[in-house]
Amino acid sequence: MDTFGFLAQGLATAMQPMILLYALIGVTLGTAVGVLPGIGPALTVALLLPVTYGLDPAGSLIMFAGIYYGGMYGGSTTSILLNTPGESASIVTALEGNKMARAGRGGPALATAAIGSFVAGLLATLALAFLAPFVVKLALVLGPRDYFALMMLAFITVSAAFGDSTMKGLTSLFVGLALGVVGIDGLTGQARLSFGVPQLLDGVEVTTLAVAMFAVGEALFVAAQGSAMHDKIHAIKGSVRMTREDWSRSWRPWLRGTAIGFPIGAMPAGGADIASFLSYGSEKRFARKPEEFGHGAIEGVAGPEAANNAAAAGTLVPLLTLGLPTTATAAIMLAGFQQFGLQPGPLLFVTAPTLVWGLIASLLVANVMLLVLNLPLIRLWVRLLTIPRHWLYAGILLFATLGTIGVNPSPVELSMLMIFGIMGYLMRLHAYPIAPVVVGLILGPMAEQQLRRALAISQGDWTTLVASPVSAVLLTLAFLGLVVPPLLRWRGKGDVLSKVAAAED
Amino acid sequence: MTGQATRPQRRPDGAALVIAVMLAAVGGTFIVQGRASPDNGGYSGVGSGDAPIFVGVVLVLLAIAHVVKGLRSGPVGLPVQHLGPVGLIVGGLLLQLVLLRITGFSIASGLLFACTASAFGHRNPAISVPVGIVLAIAVYGVFDQLLRLNLPAGWLELTIFGS
Amino acid sequence: MKHTLLSVALAAVCAMPAFAADYTIIAPAAPGGGWDGTARAMQTVLQQEGISGNVQVQNVPGAGGTVGLAQFASSASGDANQLIVGGYVMVGAILTNASPVSLADVTPIARLTGEAVGIAVSANSPVQTIEELVEMLKADPGSVSWAGGSAGGVDHITVGLLAKAAGVDPTLINYVAFSGGGEALAAILGNQVTVGISGVGEFLPQVEAGTMRMLAVSTAERWVGTDAPTLMESGYDVDVQNWRMVAAAPGLTEEQKAAVTADIDAMVNSASWAETLETQNWANTYLSGADFDTQLAADIEATTVVLKDIGLVQ
Repeated sequence: MDTFGFLAQGLATAMQPMILLYALIGVTLGTAVGVLPGIGPALTVALLLPVTYGLDPAGSLIMFAGIYYGGMYGGSTTSILLNTPGESASIVTALEGNKMARAGRGGPALATAAIGSFVAGLLATLALAFLAPFVVKLALVLGPRDYFALMMLAFITVSAAFGDSTMKGLTSLFVGLALGVVGIDGLTGQARLSFGVPQLLDGVEVTTLAVAMFAVGEALFVAAQGSAMHDKIHAIKGSVRMTREDWSRSWRPWLRGTAIGFPIGAMPAGGADIASFLSYGSEKRFARKPEEFGHGAIEGVAGPEAANNAAAAGTLVPLLTLGLPTTATAAIMLAGFQQFGLQPGPLLFVTAPTLVWGLIASLLVANVMLLVLNLPLIRLWVRLLTIPRHWLYAGILLFATLGTIGVNPSPVELSMLMIFGIMGYLMRLHAYPIAPVVVGLILGPMAEQQLRRALAISQGDWTTLVASPVSAVLLTLAFLGLVVPPLLRWRGKGDVLSKVAAAED
Repeated sequence: MTGQATRPQRRPDGAALVIAVMLAAVGGTFIVQGRASPDNGGYSGVGSGDAPIFVGVVLVLLAIAHVVKGLRSGPVGLPVQHLGPVGLIVGGLLLQLVLLRITGFSIASGLLFACTASAFGHRNPAISVPVGIVLAIAVYGVFDQLLRLNLPAGWLELTIFGS
Repeated sequence: MKHTLLSVALAAVCAMPAFAADYTIIAPAAPGGGWDGTARAMQTVLQQEGISGNVQVQNVPGAGGTVGLAQFASSASGDANQLIVGGYVMVGAILTNASPVSLADVTPIARLTGEAVGIAVSANSPVQTIEELVEMLKADPGSVSWAGGSAGGVDHITVGLLAKAAGVDPTLINYVAFSGGGEALAAILGNQVTVGISGVGEFLPQVEAGTMRMLAVSTAERWVGTDAPTLMESGYDVDVQNWRMVAAAPGLTEEQKAAVTADIDAMVNSASWAETLETQNWANTYLSGADFDTQLAADIEATTVVLKDIGLVQ
């Protein structure tokens, strides 16, 4: 049987009423946890694992996948409306999406995120079905040096994209890198910068930092402005429909985001975070109006949202075909398979074709459900901001701490939430960008480890870094990304500086 | 200052200097701690102390950049900050941290809710405290009882949901 | 800030100590991991079999389980209703993290499950047998790169023990730590590293699919599902098992310890535990009482020596 045959068979499985119900529960829960700050799909799936012991394996796995997809949809909503990413893959969405919401264009931002997620989910799921074997072969060629090169590229793309001041952007990035160094060094087991506090040995949780900086820091900042900020928060009105211009500016980013997200999700050590960061960088480069970036460019929402959904689908390629989980959620889904005595891998397609293809077909169904769930309900999400501010922020803080308490209710973790929250407030006050901190924390340790792995394998020979064609190309791109923009900026530097000096005097 | 002198006497940007001191302190700590690492990296040649040293050096360089910028530019005007509400929210977080183990999730989080609401102008605890606690109980019910997240239970949770 | 004071007063009135359930099992790891899975499986079976009316699982993640262990040792002392799940990884983590609390500060009850560590290469690797691999290691230790789990973990310890047994200086092994089995697997399959070392379960699907070749397993007996020889058979004196265990609080009386042991014994011998092992693919390596104490002491001893040899513990 070919892929079409298997997919038809899978659709027959997916359309069974019980399976449809599982998928519906999954996508609804997923959207909900995606919207709630600090509670991601990984945690939810982990919590549901023991609950699903006695349930139907196919149904449960389809529900988990639905949560994963739903989380990617829902994550964009709070990013856009509240500048509080629901999960880490939506951090980038907050950059432009929240600016759009502040400019009264929250509706179109949500619409382009939902439709982009749908387009990407659909295409990427089909790609998962048709291209899985090829993508796996491609991913297998890559080693630590290639991943290091990939991460360097991501660093450059991201740090070149953030902020008006290079110094402030770099400061934020290196604060993040510094936080990433804290804890046990994964390669040698040495404790670094933990000052004898055992809770620091595991380093700073990405979710804790993101929730603290975005949710707590934002709440503190808004509170500190007194009544001055009052009108700004309520000023979101206007059409929730996308205009003709929105459509024409969105469809290319959706397709580009899909094209970026899917392969990155399919590669081990990738994940939706990197995909959305890279997509943001590429949209900024391709944009017809790059000057709008940082002030609410719709491309900066459409691309990353498509990319993170495509990456979620891409993640399933190595998970299903090789048994390789590449993200936290995928790792927990692997545990879900094992709970039912199933081992994902090449054999699974032979021993349990009904289940595998039922799962893939269900993802197509879930994707349609999510579009229906998210598009007509957009007005409901937009209405979130008409909730009185005191209840809204009180609720946000309650859920922000819930995420931390649920995973690790230690006073140290809660103190970190508070301290990083205050730090987020001060950084906002002095106009330091927040996102590079989070980026540095996520990618810093990964890049460091891949570098050291590559050098260990080559026994200390640094030329190994450019010895593979993939890494050579990626590093060249990263180098160009580092050198070219400052050169361009430098040519206009004198003008800008004199203008600044004039403004100050 | 405009038009008074050809070369106006500027005061330095205090915030930038404070930030520079902090960056230098953190950077210095990283360098010292990195150098203390006994690991030489084995075959890779890059040990566990090298990343902290690298980050530390860049932080010190950024501190120098902040000093230069702070001395060149004048003080940056910041909007007036209302520190009362900030203190209320931080106090609420502290209160939750302290009470979590003693009273359980719902009461501790309900009080955080009330503190935050009051920071945003809702100053009637007779309403916000009960609202917060009821909401926290609902959250506890869904996440602890239904989804089996382990939230710290106190007498209130045990009374409502049994043990 | 009148309302804050009011709130504090209200909270003070409300404050009452939380009371304990029948058993509280500490899983010293985040939800979703192996120890969490063990704790939740115990919870289900203990309740289903009516051994305990109510079982709570509490996650205290951090630093290879040593954060949970430290909290357990200090807060649960003398409380026979509290249990903690742990494993071999904890033995190494206690040493490498210089943890102030060790397994001597709790009351180990029984080893529940275990898994062999497997040594495997990609199917198209030139290395055919474990003997060939060891010859390469002897000739040039640096040229053999090992992909495995975290530094100081059971995989790393096994490589150290093998090097020592083969007469190679353990400090010279080129061990490349990966954060998860999946990432390591990709490096092995892609021939980025010479050889992989990880839990047998990680490799078996690949071996069955013909993309990998298992060279040896670390346990004294051969492992179900593979015909790879043991390291012992090949002439290297290495016997490592990545086990999981359950321990009770410190400061228990002999009667209390016996009662807990009896409960765990009843759990392990129940039909639903057998079913759990089956569905989870866990191997039953149940060992309790004095036998377990002896085995544990031997493991701690050997681990301490090899971690010092590798240079991870001063």
